[in-house]
Parts: sequence; C-alpha cells; structure tokens
Amino acid sequence: MRKARTGFLTVALALTLLIGGCNRQDEEPGQITICFAFQDLETEYWVAAHKAITETLRARNIKVLERNAHQDANRQFEQIRDAIAQDVDGIIMIPQDGESALTIIGEANQAGIPIGVFNRPPADKSKPALVVVADNEKIAEEAVAYMAKAASELNRKMTPLILVGDLGDQNSIERRDGFYRAVNAHPELFKKPIEVPTKWDAATTLANLEAALQVTPEVDFIFTSSDFLYPQIKAVLEPLGRWKPKGDPDHVVLGGVDGDSTAYRLMKEGYVDATGVQDLFFEANAIMDALVEAIKSGQRTPEKWIQDPGFALTQENMPQRAMDMWGCRILHEEQSNEAR
Amino acid sequence: MNERRNKLVSILLNNMPMLLFVLLLIAFGAIAPESLQYQNIENAFKQASYIGIVAIGMTFVLLTGGIDLSVGSNMYVSAVIAGLAMQRYSVGAGPALLLCLVVGAVFGTINAIAVTKLRILPFVATLAMMVSGRGVGLMFSKSRAVAFPDPVTGLGSAELFSLLPYPIVIFALVVGGAALLLHRTQLGRQIYALGYDKEVARKAGINADRVQAAAYILCGLFAALGGFVSVVQLGNVNAGFGKGDEFDAIAAAVLGGVSLFGGVGRVFPGVVLGAVFIQAISIGLVSAQVDLYLHPLITAAVIFSAVLADSLRNTYLKKLSRRNIRLEV
Repeated sequence: MRKARTGFLTVALALTLLIGGCNRQDEEPGQITICFAFQDLETEYWVAAHKAITETLRARNIKVLERNAHQDANRQFEQIRDAIAQDVDGIIMIPQDGESALTIIGEANQAGIPIGVFNRPPADKSKPALVVVADNEKIAEEAVAYMAKAASELNRKMTPLILVGDLGDQNSIERRDGFYRAVNAHPELFKKPIEVPTKWDAATTLANLEAALQVTPEVDFIFTSSDFLYPQIKAVLEPLGRWKPKGDPDHVVLGGVDGDSTAYRLMKEGYVDATGVQDLFFEANAIMDALVEAIKSGQRTPEKWIQDPGFALTQENMPQRAMDMWGCRILHEEQSNEAR
Repeated sequence: MNERRNKLVSILLNNMPMLLFVLLLIAFGAIAPESLQYQNIENAFKQASYIGIVAIGMTFVLLTGGIDLSVGSNMYVSAVIAGLAMQRYSVGAGPALLLCLVVGAVFGTINAIAVTKLRILPFVATLAMMVSGRGVGLMFSKSRAVAFPDPVTGLGSAELFSLLPYPIVIFALVVGGAALLLHRTQLGRQIYALGYDKEVARKAGINADRVQAAAYILCGLFAALGGFVSVVQLGNVNAGFGKGDEFDAIAAAVLGGVSLFGGVGRVFPGVVLGAVFIQAISIGLVSAQVDLYLHPLITAAVIFSAVLADSLRNTYLKKLSRRNIRLEV
C-alpha cells in the first residue's frame, strides 16, 4: 500500500512539473500575463463578471492566470504571492473583504506589480491601487426611492424590512446606508425598519425572514441587499399568500440591488418594483483598460478610483433601460443561443 | 436525603440539553414574547430539519471516533445533480430524490474507502472530498443557480394533514430510524463499541472496517437527504449551497451531547435539540430585533455556555457515579 502511495505521489509531482513547464513555454514573447484572483463564483453577478473579464482579456491576447480563493482571504493572499513569484505583469482581484484587499494591495505594491480591485473596494485608500466600484449607496437609495414612490400611492403607513448582507462586506453596508437614506426621507410613510441578517446565505435568509414575518406579519415593503435572494423571498411570501404582482392588494413592494436575470424576469412579471443595477460591463472594461494602460506605460503602483454610477431600473423606465441591465442582456444572449 | 438530592441532580444533569433548550426559550420569551408563538417554534423545527438530518448522519461518524467534513459539498453535488436531472430530462420528484440519495451514498462510499482501505485520516480524506466535491458540483452547475421545479419546492411549505410541514415529518422519520438503528440493531451497538474502544471492539470480533464504512455511507446518504430537504424549502441551489453546513452539523451533534472522541451520544433528544437550539438562537435574535452586530457575539456566547455546561455536567456525573468508600475507624 505504501509503495502504491509513493508511486502515485511521484507521478502526480512529475505531471505537475511537466504541466508547469508546458505553461511557461506556451507564453509568447512580449505577451502580457495578468493574474485574475477572485473570491468565488457564488452568484450570477460574480459568474458574469468572471466571464466578461477572462473573455475580454483573452480576446486582447493577454495570458490569464485564474485563481479562485473559495471565500478564503488567506488562500487568496497566498495565491497572489504565488502569482507575484511567477512575475506576472499585473493583477486583477475580487477580494473577499476590504481589510484583506488592503493587505494584498500592500504585497503587490512592495513587488512593484500594478493591481486592480474589482467591485469590492479596499477598507481605505492608504495603499495605491486601481479600484472600480459601484456607488452602492446611491444605487440602493435610487431603487428604494422609487419603491417609496410606489408605496406612497397605496395611502397607508408601510412597514419596511431590509435583508442585510454580510456585515464584513463594504458593499453590503453601503446598500444598507442607501436604504436608510431613502426611508428616512419619508418619515410620514414608513414605520421603523426591521433588519434581517442574511450573511449572504440563502438558508440563513429563509430562516430569518420567515421568523421576522412571523413576529411582524404587517411587513409590506422588502428591500434585499442582493437580487440572488429573491427565490427565498418568494419561498416565504408565497405560502402566506403575499407573493403577488403589482396592482394586487396583497402585493408587497419589493426591490433590491445587483441587476441579475432573476430580478429582470420578476420585474417583467410585476413582482419586483425596482432594482439598483451595477453596470457590470462598464466596471469590467474600466478595470482592464486602466490596468493594461498602467502595465504598458511602466507604472508600478498606479492609483485611480473609478466609480460606476449605476442606475435604478424601475417599472417606469423599464421599456427604455432594460437592455442596460446586465441580467437582461445575459438572459437575451442565452435565449438567442438556445434558439440557435 | 443526600442520596435523593444526588438523584435529582443526576436527573437534571442527564437532561442538560433539554434544560438548556427550555432556558433559551424562556430567555427569548421574556425579551420577545412573539418568539414563543406556536408558529415560531414550528418554524425553528422546520428550518432546523435539514441541518438536523445532516447532523444525525454526522453522529454515526462521530460515534465511531471519525469526522466527515465533506457533508456540505455532498449536499451541493447531490442537489445540483438532482436539480439538473429534473430541469434537463424532466425527471420526476421521486426519481430525482433517489438520484440525489445515490450520489450521496457514492460520496460516502468514497470517504469510506479512503478511511478504511487507504488508511487516510478521516479529517484529511473528508477535507479532500470537501474541496473536490465542491469542484465537481461547480463543474456541473457552471456556478449558476439550479432551480427546482415549483411542484417540488411546494413541498417545502406543504403540510401533512394540514398539521405538520413535510420537512419536520421527514426529520422525525429520520430521527426514529436512526434511533432504532443505533439502539436496536447489531450495527448500532457495534458503532458505539467501536467508538468507545477500537481495540477492545476488534478483540470482541467486530469487523471495524465494515462498521466504519457503514457509518460514512450512512453519513453521505443523510447529507444528501438533508440537502434535498433544504432545497425544497429554498427553491434553488446556488453555488454557496451547503458551505459551512458541516460545522453547523458538528456543532449540533456536539451540543446534543455527542463526544468528538467517539462512543458517546444519542440522536434523541440530544442531536435533535442541538440542531433546533442553534436555529432557535438565530430566530430568537431576529424576533427580538437585536442589533445585527451583536448576533455573532450572542450566538457564540450561548453556544459556548451550552458546551461548558455539558462539560461540567460530565465531570459532575463522573464524580456522582464514583463509589464512596468510607473508612470504618
């Protein structure tokens, strides 16, 4: 048994070395190599971002080293150190959280390798990096402001509920701030909001939302910090007879942030009133352009914060702006692929 | 008098999980009386059902002195394959559940072979399965959410005889089956014996490998069933599904009095209360509208107190059961 194990390990080691060697030979002279380190591919947003970044980079004849940290900040740190040791020309990172982003930026700065941070900003601006981030607070505020407008037509005081994301995620905190800004602007319309933690986890969301609605059944205004939680909202509201489209007396005013295909479908069906949309394609292109430009001009620690203004897709502006929503575009692409 | 007091203390300590559960209910009832409504308690059991089923599977492995870190990935892979079979090949709910269980059993069998035949440490073998299993699942799903059809997800909120939600019914059946298996069958007794003292069990003629393998296969099977029960409630399987559930399952088992060193623990009421206990803390905090930043602190403090109380209980019970030898002068 021991011999078999030793043999297996030897073959595995030899194959690893062989594959590693082949990879180096594959590199064309003068070709740019970029390490794309992402925290995971948990939601449709991250999957779409991953696809947009990797496909565009390869289309530009840039070699991409992909590294998935599986939501482990330490693993991501090690993966990026490994990429630095391989002498990559640049790094694009989707960090696990703002604090770990800062540590990793410091490591890249020290090695003199330009680094770009996609969508999840570092905790502060103390270390230079290229950062593209959506204005989460503004996007959430715009979406909730439209929801408030829709609610005001119902002529009653609303009981709002917010599904809060992970408290360690800066985006989640900004979305919560945007929600409160819009709600606090209408004290005559809203009672005290109920906060429900989700930890960005579907099972936690289902359990906590069910408990919250049990204690406060009068909730009639729900804002989710991410669109990927709509199936769980439906799972809770449907048995209560409150999963109803706009116009129905039992309709719960509903909205979120992200702009995925589920949100688009639910808006078309009238269940969702508004959703804050991050411009995924703008963000992906902006970070790639900035990084490639920095590499070509020889900048080692470039610094630039690029803001994606985003927008709120509402029942009102849907006919004009639906195709600006990445989820809608992806859905249309898939449908046309299936038709082919 | 002293003997009666000792007996009373012994009864109380032996029912520590139940006592802690009641104390928790009283505490949350005082802060938020609404959390004690029947519907809320039913919700706690319903939401705990899936993790409870997984924890029962984990109990089999823990009782043998092993551990299975791959249950979360097992839940994901088996649910994704069942979901895709329903989506792409219009497979019915029954065959999909069967497929899900088969995948779970295969997962458990691989763990069993790694532990009993290749002699890899359970922690390492199941850790490898945790990572590779998630990868296999993502390969099938392409990281996209896999939706279960409406008639299947409807079961998550449907009730048997308009009385009990199906997830609770399935949980109760699993608890009953597991308790019977552990306490009324040869395999069950062998699992306890193996965990209590492996060498003695071997000398007594127990085929340790066969018993250990059975525990891992059962664990895989229950993880897949738990995953299915969870998905019928959630509506879809996203890429993060099952992540971290292995730790909740271990926590539920340990809170319920199952020893991490093997040989000690009961499915009922121990593991059942352990699973509901964790869920009840979360529901209680939401019902009482406690500041979100305090949730992890309070949860950790309550779980720590429960485990500490359990540890003190064991020490005290050992002391009580010691024979008193009085020296006659």
